[in-house]
Amino acid sequence: MTSVAADLTEVRAAAELLGFALARRARPVEGGQYRALLDRYRSELRFRDVVDTMAEGLGLEVLGTPRSGLVLAPDPAGPFATRLGDLRSTMDADDRLVFGLVLIGIAAYAYPTDADFDDPETRLVEVATIDGFIRAALGTLGSLAGVEGSAEERARAAAQVYADLPQLITTQTGRRARGCTLKAVEDVCGWLVEQGAAREAASLGPDTFHLTDRFRLLVADSAGGGALDALRDLRREDVP
Amino acid sequence: MTGAYGGVVSPAADASARDRWRALALTDPVSRLVRNAAHAGIDDDEYDLRLLALAAVDIVVGSMGFAREATLDDVVDELAGLAARMAPHRPDQARDVAQTVVRGLLNDAHEQRRFTYRFADLGAPGEPARWEAYSFRLLSLREAEYGPVLVASDQAVTLFLHGLDVDLEDADRALAHVLQRQLDDRRFDAAARTAAQAERTSVGMSAMLAELLDATRRDVGSHDWEREVPERLLRARRHVESRIAEDDRLLEHVQGGLDAETSPEVRAVSGRIVDLLGRARQVHLDLERRLVGAREVFLSAQVRQRLARRRRLRMLALREELLLPVLELPRAEAALVASAFADRALGVSVPRLVRFDDLVDALWAPPRAREAAEPEIELVPDVDVSDDVQRYPEQVVAAAREVLGAAADGEVRLSELLAAVPDGPDAAEVTELVLLSALWAFAPDVAAEAEGEVAAEVDVLAGGIEAERADELLDVPGVGGPDLVVRLRGGATGATEMPAEPADVLFVDVHGDAYSDAYSRETVS
Repeated sequence: MTSVAADLTEVRAAAELLGFALARRARPVEGGQYRALLDRYRSELRFRDVVDTMAEGLGLEVLGTPRSGLVLAPDPAGPFATRLGDLRSTMDADDRLVFGLVLIGIAAYAYPTDADFDDPETRLVEVATIDGFIRAALGTLGSLAGVEGSAEERARAAAQVYADLPQLITTQTGRRARGCTLKAVEDVCGWLVEQGAAREAASLGPDTFHLTDRFRLLVADSAGGGALDALRDLRREDVP
Repeated sequence: MTGAYGGVVSPAADASARDRWRALALTDPVSRLVRNAAHAGIDDDEYDLRLLALAAVDIVVGSMGFAREATLDDVVDELAGLAARMAPHRPDQARDVAQTVVRGLLNDAHEQRRFTYRFADLGAPGEPARWEAYSFRLLSLREAEYGPVLVASDQAVTLFLHGLDVDLEDADRALAHVLQRQLDDRRFDAAARTAAQAERTSVGMSAMLAELLDATRRDVGSHDWEREVPERLLRARRHVESRIAEDDRLLEHVQGGLDAETSPEVRAVSGRIVDLLGRARQVHLDLERRLVGAREVFLSAQVRQRLARRRRLRMLALREELLLPVLELPRAEAALVASAFADRALGVSVPRLVRFDDLVDALWAPPRAREAAEPEIELVPDVDVSDDVQRYPEQVVAAAREVLGAAADGEVRLSELLAAVPDGPDAAEVTELVLLSALWAFAPDVAAEAEGEVAAEVDVLAGGIEAERADELLDVPGVGGPDLVVRLRGGATGATEMPAEPADVLFVDVHGDAYSDAYSRETVS
């Protein structure tokens, strides 16, 4: 940014906007302060610069401004970055592989084409469909070429672990028990809800979630990778 | 005031005795630091420590109340620079001198406590003296965001301004008269100096006011807002009023000097004075702004601290006013207080956000290359891995084995074996190992041997030999006790008598280790 002196009231407003964006529950409803600031961000270049600069200083990046609010992504070294310890703390190496695979599966399932990243239409996912999609893709993932330690090799390992897990184990109360893939998908969806990247769509049935703009922008921000590309290719074949 | 001399001297002297005594006491820390400096090897003839002390206060007061106050390093650096100019031939000592001065002003000799002096209040004639402690600080350290900063106390500010307790308002008026006269006489150089002094008066007042307001914000009872502070404010207000009016007049006057025909030097000096007065005016206005808000600060601090609910913990006695009452509350109400306390006490919580690629990378990070290394560790045949830490290197074991090999030819003394240890980088460790082996042979750990823990490794080094006490004492550095006769096990006459405790016989102190260490090293492979 050029060394234009920022007005202090502008700086305060910018900080307020970032505060709203960080509080995941805040919604930019009509007539609210958040909405006013968001509109200002969209329309005022100068204010936008102030917000972006401030975000940069905090170790954040503005990914986009959908209707649902400002979407931020953290600098991996910054204070806002999610560490593995913030996820379920009892995860072992296999759990982590599966968690990553499910995350990529959901992303590929919801956004197979690049045009989808710009489409504000909300995608729905169901736990069982995602599990089915991933299971069907295990063969493709298993044949990815990659040396030891590469992302492709990790994808192969993840596919192997996923294939070895049963689809369903139930507890005595009839719920899904840990150790099956349906439960793994459910866990990831639950985590996405916590992150504000998904919402439960209980009105559409159990196990159904819609993915928010936040998730769309997060995936759009991704540079992709062997596993994600392969899964998206597969999904494109399904949806003509 | 009762009168310090109890009417003994004269009413006039009596009335101001306490104030004058205090002024006298204020200068004492400086004298004390000059005296103490002699012990630190700083020669009073080479350095003007009094001037340095004055300069330290000057530097500190000059930046008090501004965004960036003088840090400890700033002050020491500047003083070191001044000290170096006093004694150019001792550049190495300048920093010591600067530190000595700052330490002295901080009362470092007494853990940076307040300087304390006792005043004898004589009271009415015939009564015994009442002793009254007077304590004060000159400089103190505070933590700022950019490091420790030095702050001058009111007393130090006063000292800096006038050296002694003089009514500021009067001094100011006197100064104004002098300036007026100097201007009339066109002695501009001197006038510039006095104008600068007037500015400093304002800076000092400003700093004092900033301190006072800060203290009031912290604790409304820290200053007497009923009488003392209003008086001070009034004095400062009058000062600003008269200064601004006078500066305007002076400016006009000097400007007149510039416009009138004058010599180039006079013009130059006039220009400087105009600049100076402009700056001083800014300082006076700054002081005025502070004065305007001062009463407000007091009122809001009073509301916050005395009248409103107490919100800050430091205003509570935690045990009596918080912990004990909470413990007596019913569960539900106590939970309210406790959670409110915990919410504040836990501080800022940071929401965690994700970035898709970073998260996948973290989740799919390859495990550390540990799996390959682990089985190899298990291959090590030793039973107790923790003992392995002190294993001897291979070449040391080989050398020790060679030395002990002499026992195969018949009886040999331990002292001879030790003498046979070849010189080299490992000599100390080989000596130690030979010594310990002989000791092991003298008092074997029969139990361990029976369980087979040692048997696998027993060869000439550890168990193939036996040892017997000799009459002479060992004469080897670091080792005490009787010499031993070493031979191959079963190779000589008669069974050795079982010694009670090896420690009675041989005392090993190779690396300052205790004897018990020997057994941790004895399972040498």
